Amino acid sequence: MNIPVLEIENLKTCFDTRDGMVTAVDGVSLKVNKGECLGIVGESGSGKSVTFGSVMGLVKKPGFIAEGSIRFNGRELVGLNGKEYRRLRGKEIAMTMQDALTALNPAYTVSNQIIEVLLAHDDALTGSRRSKKKQARGKAIEMMQLVGIPAAESRLDDYPHQFSGGMRQRIMIAIALSCKPTLLIADEPTTALDVTIQAQVLELIADIQDKLVMSVVLITHDLGVVAEYCDRVMVMYAGQIVESGPTRDVIDNPQHPYTQGLLNSIPRLSDLDRKITPIEGSVPELIGLAEECRFMGRCLKATDACKTLIEMRDNGVDHQVRCINAGMVL
Amino acid sequence: MTDIGSTPDMNKLNTVAGETLFKRNMKLFASSKLSLFFSAMAIGFILMALGAPLFAPHDPNEADLFLRLLPPAWMEGGDWSYVLGTDALGRDVLSRIIYGSRGSIFIGACVILVATTVGVLAGLAAGYLGGWVDVVISRLVDILLGFPYLIFAIALIAMSGPGLQNIIFALAYKEWVIPCRVVRGETLATRDVEYVEAARAMGASKRYIMLKEILPNILSPVMVVSTVRMAHVIILEASLSFLGLGVQPPTASWGSMVADGRSYMLDEWWLSTFPGLAILLLVLSINVVSQGLRDAFDPKFHD
Amino acid sequence: MNLGKFVERLLQLIPVLFGVSTIVFVMMLFTPGDPVDIMLGDQHVTEQMERALRHDMGLDLPPVERFFKFLGNAAKGDFGLSYYHRAPVAEVIASRLPATIELSLVALIIGLTISIPLGVLAAVKKNSMFDRIATVTSLFGISMPGFWFGILLLILFAVNLHWLPVAGRSGFSFEVEPITHLLLVDSLLRGRPDAFWDALKHITLPAITLGLPLASILMRVTRASMLDVLDRDYITFAEAKGLSRMKVIGKHALKNALIPTVTVAALQAGSLLGGSMVVETVFGWPGLGRLVVESIFVRNYPLIQAAVLFYAFTYVMLNFVADILYTVLNPRVKL
Repeated sequence: MNIPVLEIENLKTCFDTRDGMVTAVDGVSLKVNKGECLGIVGESGSGKSVTFGSVMGLVKKPGFIAEGSIRFNGRELVGLNGKEYRRLRGKEIAMTMQDALTALNPAYTVSNQIIEVLLAHDDALTGSRRSKKKQARGKAIEMMQLVGIPAAESRLDDYPHQFSGGMRQRIMIAIALSCKPTLLIADEPTTALDVTIQAQVLELIADIQDKLVMSVVLITHDLGVVAEYCDRVMVMYAGQIVESGPTRDVIDNPQHPYTQGLLNSIPRLSDLDRKITPIEGSVPELIGLAEECRFMGRCLKATDACKTLIEMRDNGVDHQVRCINAGMVL
Repeated sequence: MTDIGSTPDMNKLNTVAGETLFKRNMKLFASSKLSLFFSAMAIGFILMALGAPLFAPHDPNEADLFLRLLPPAWMEGGDWSYVLGTDALGRDVLSRIIYGSRGSIFIGACVILVATTVGVLAGLAAGYLGGWVDVVISRLVDILLGFPYLIFAIALIAMSGPGLQNIIFALAYKEWVIPCRVVRGETLATRDVEYVEAARAMGASKRYIMLKEILPNILSPVMVVSTVRMAHVIILEASLSFLGLGVQPPTASWGSMVADGRSYMLDEWWLSTFPGLAILLLVLSINVVSQGLRDAFDPKFHD
Repeated sequence: MNLGKFVERLLQLIPVLFGVSTIVFVMMLFTPGDPVDIMLGDQHVTEQMERALRHDMGLDLPPVERFFKFLGNAAKGDFGLSYYHRAPVAEVIASRLPATIELSLVALIIGLTISIPLGVLAAVKKNSMFDRIATVTSLFGISMPGFWFGILLLILFAVNLHWLPVAGRSGFSFEVEPITHLLLVDSLLRGRPDAFWDALKHITLPAITLGLPLASILMRVTRASMLDVLDRDYITFAEAKGLSRMKVIGKHALKNALIPTVTVAALQAGSLLGGSMVVETVFGWPGLGRLVVESIFVRNYPLIQAAVLFYAFTYVMLNFVADILYTVLNPRVKL
């Protein structure tokens, strides 16, 4: 009960490319507790996806985990051999991806893709291979119904391209949840969807999270989604976490200039006269970064003092920021 | 696109200031020792063809019956002035190989040149002008594609008889179809792009647009295809010569040299082996170079 | 698959086939020399007989009419007489066809069975020693002239090592009553293992010569396609599901990766037809290819014409098969 479901400590993941060593994840530390929903916010290139790719052990050459520790229910994952990792994936830790159309294999039916996970991991299936398949098929129908696919039984043998975008995302969720994992990592589950469908999918995830007492990591670039569904949130920028804390706190009282900038650039119905201020500049290259604040080039509060290594520092109850000028509101 | 485990987009990360993508890719190409080696080999062959009289130790047609069927120099009975041995008529194999390169390279280059020119023009017309022009050209392409390559060439040669000009035409008749298809596809893709629209708005004639706006931008796939096809054409020409339908004696041609050597396969293996080896090396170098160019220019080639 | 659409696609072939026939006919028209003169050679016949012969062959008709007569006859399977063989052209071609078909089939099998496993492994072990060797070998495979490779094999295995025969399709005293006309099949069906071995020994070198370049091309296609597939999201997702490596590659990747391989194979099968001409010449294989080459030297035009028409039709059908295969293998693409 006290061990966090997931604990990452000083994770550093690099890619050895022909242009140089890219440090996509630079010293990330975080914790996910049981039953909690953690939101990870950041733009493309912030390292949010690679962080959790590392958790799943899916970082491929030329990428590698250079430093750090990843503990799942207390068990160290870094250096785990392939066989052990495969037992965890799909069963204890599950993942969904952003684009369900490309994530589902176009050559196989949906039933095939759900059943294979069950056959691989579900110990509750008994009997001969044929009978296992039958049981798995039954469970697959249940899962499809759980995620709200109408006429599940008749659509079970359709191909992915025969479903709409929203349905495909649900199918992906069904696949991810079929073995009742402890941790679900949802990578941009709503980015490719219409706004109305987005809400449905997120409600679905929240609902299942309650039912199964599952921990969820919600990776997104959309702060609105985080505000609505996550207990805690972490903001990532250029491979580092720049702010972390309970969602309410971070949204009401953002400390890091980047977070403030993100919130300022969201139009709000309640405040139609307010001007939207975009954040000028762009994300720095991730090669050979100097030891200084990475947001400096775009920050309006930057001073010379920012040219050193900036650590996370406490700023309020359970609220941390990577900024020496935190607390100052411009 | 999810990027949980894949390399961040490196093409943004350019290069030294001022260096274009083309230059960078060329540098990449040159950095591969293999590419450089085979480029040198290909150039070597071309030089050999051009400077044949300078390089060949003997006259390729000079027959000396007393010296017939000499083995290569390093074998027993060999003679270092006839390094690769002599054939049934006492002609120096090495010299014949050197002179033979002229035929192969010349024919290959001619065919590709003719085919590419015709193909590009046809493809541009078909892609840009559309309508009945496209229909006619596409139909023609489909029909010509209905013939296996060698069969078509052989049929044409059966009709017109063998000989240098006839081979070139026989091969070119089918070959133009390939650049035509590529160009047509590319033209269709770029037809409605902004800069073309702009040119049209400024009142440019169709011919102008086709030649000045579209053409320069589709050249690179055409060049890639042409180099690949060159290798093919050289093998085809050699096959035709081997069958006796290509370059006629006494002109030295690698294909016919291999054919002649067949009768002596039992004891004088070198007569067929070396000319064939020459074909292999030339085609190999062309293939390696074209592959290297393709890889260097391919943005997905991260290593 | 929609039958209606299938038939529609089939019908679309007709204009192409028509066009092909037209070209073959036009080629025939422009062939130098008078067919009757060539046919008769030195024989003396009366003017009357000559005229009758011309009329018979339709040579006195205007070109368009001749064309339709040509088509009509072709549809009936009548391609005229091969004076060289003193037999109808159709008969001569039919007698040599099985040898070419058998050779092409075996070459195709060799090509596929070598290329697919190698291509898949090379992609999975990208940039390893295995991959490098495979890539280099395939590069040699596509750069090598077929006739030279065949001769090299002959020199090595037949002349020097005496393991395999030098030429031909079967030795003496290995006659077998034909059923399918494919020696390998027939010898087994008739319970003649000795004939089978003999046929196998004879077909080995030619089939390898024809099949290895094909294998090289297919290996490269498979490798490239596999590499592309391995990069796709659904492979990552399959791994995220915790499936075994075998399942990820053998099930998820393979089915998608093989699509280009199979379609290219169907297309290349057509150039096997062309390549067989060279290979049959090198190995003295009694097939259609060698027949065509011989016919050119004796100016046996009716036979050449018929053969070209046959090859072209087969090639068009093979392309069609390739198209259909593609739609079958790829559930997303409808006919």
